[in-house]
Amino acid sequence: MAVLSLEHVTYIYGEGTPFEIRALDDVTLTVREGSVTGIIGHTGSGKSTLVQLFNGLEKPMSGRVLLDGKDIWADPKKMRDIRFRVGLVMQYPEYQLFEETIRADIAFGPRNMGLDETEIAYRVDEAASFVGLDRELLDKSPFDLSGGQKRRAAIAGIMAMRPEVLVLDEPAAGLDPRGRDTILEGIRTYGKRTGATVIIVSHSMEDMAAYCDDIIVMEHAKVALSGTRDEVFANAERLTAVGLDVPQITHLMLLLKERGLAVPDGIYTVEAATAALRRLFS
Amino acid sequence: MKNIAFGQYYPARSPLHAMDARVKVILSILYIVAAFLCKNVLSFGALLLSALFLLVLSRIPPRIVLRALRPLFFIMLFTAALNLFFATGSTVLFSFWRITVYVEGLYSAVFMLVRIIVLIFGTSIFLTYTTTPIALTDAIESLLSPLRIFKIPVHEFAMMMSIALRFIPTLMEETNKIMNAQKARGVDFSSGGLLKRAKALVPILIPLIVSSFRRADELAMAMECRCYRGGKGRTKMTVPHLHLGDFVALALMVAFGAGLIYLNHLGYGYTM
Repeated sequence: MAVLSLEHVTYIYGEGTPFEIRALDDVTLTVREGSVTGIIGHTGSGKSTLVQLFNGLEKPMSGRVLLDGKDIWADPKKMRDIRFRVGLVMQYPEYQLFEETIRADIAFGPRNMGLDETEIAYRVDEAASFVGLDRELLDKSPFDLSGGQKRRAAIAGIMAMRPEVLVLDEPAAGLDPRGRDTILEGIRTYGKRTGATVIIVSHSMEDMAAYCDDIIVMEHAKVALSGTRDEVFANAERLTAVGLDVPQITHLMLLLKERGLAVPDGIYTVEAATAALRRLFS
Repeated sequence: MKNIAFGQYYPARSPLHAMDARVKVILSILYIVAAFLCKNVLSFGALLLSALFLLVLSRIPPRIVLRALRPLFFIMLFTAALNLFFATGSTVLFSFWRITVYVEGLYSAVFMLVRIIVLIFGTSIFLTYTTTPIALTDAIESLLSPLRIFKIPVHEFAMMMSIALRFIPTLMEETNKIMNAQKARGVDFSSGGLLKRAKALVPILIPLIVSSFRRADELAMAMECRCYRGGKGRTKMTVPHLHLGDFVALALMVAFGAGLIYLNHLGYGYTM
């Protein structure tokens, strides 16, 4: 079932000025309920605009954004409720921390929802555990934390609202590999435990291959390719044509195929590649 | 947030765009003086025509320049009303209740309105719409450079000004981003009393101030890394040159001013 979908959505920046940019051009897509969906594309392909449409921060020039089959713009007065249901973590979210302690900052969203204090306290602890923040850190000031810890605190701030759909724009950008894995792992845990749908925007194919069920590929303000992870990686040639990096192991398989080895399409993990090569040579 | 009329350089190919920015600064000062020279219907008429002429010459869509008038709409209305109802004269136009409107009042209201509109038109066409902010600060630095004799750090002022101008769009973008991020966490900017609305700004202002300091720090570091040490011995990447067109424009402006004074002396109708 589709939890979130876009129907013929067009979005233009600076419409009617000499600086007009068409960020999304007649985009139609659906996100499966309970899935981890990756949106991938180059800078300027319309990814960040897309995520701001999901929770009604931007209004499309034309087309509809549907949450559970209902147009989110049907009643703009209820937009706040939509934003609690579709949680958005923007790029570099660590720059939005403003409270004196991490605990207070994570509690900011739930408090805006009007929850009672015991529920807020419970949710703060739960969200902190999802992203792997130590309890001692919760009473520190955001200024005393490292960049990766701040990023995790900011993500926890959205998770504490327990949205049905968690949207993250480049959650791992600029982090070291270990920090990246902690964050992506925490996001996956959140999805599994709460049954929420997770949408991750990224430009890293490796992350997509490791963490996503479904993948949507954006190019020049349009959807270039979409489907399950297997379907998308089966089109590895198309991905390379779009100018995206396929995972290194997929690239290797493509090269082997070019040289005449009968390896199957759609391999994106080292394990699958080992198995395929074993079969080929045994 | 998106429509703040600041530094709205409008790229186009026109004689005004091609003009030396220093000349444009001088021209706009002269134009302001000219607007205050006008005294009667003829000279105000000529002033209004000159503004239209500038608009056509600049090749900027009138719609865009009209947008610059919008923030000052109330000041214009207020000035006109003040002149209309409180100016006294000899000929009564009409009167009702305790208010008497004189013909002189009507004239001065219209004149003030024309003057304000032309001032905004003139300065925004010369300075903001046809001149890039960078060219403008360069021009101001160059025009003020004689003040160096009095040990005034002209270059430093110009550098501060260009940095400030450069960071206005960045800060606006940043504000927008932070606002969106906090909206995603359920901040409500548009409902509740004054206190509640002011409180809603805290989650915006704190991250904004923190990131401004961070940016300032990074910029200072980057400038030091490139051995910036102030204006002494510093050369320019683009050295401005005066062209024939610049001199023609200056001559035309002086002639225009003289023409206005001549029209004032024709003594036609009401004189301010």
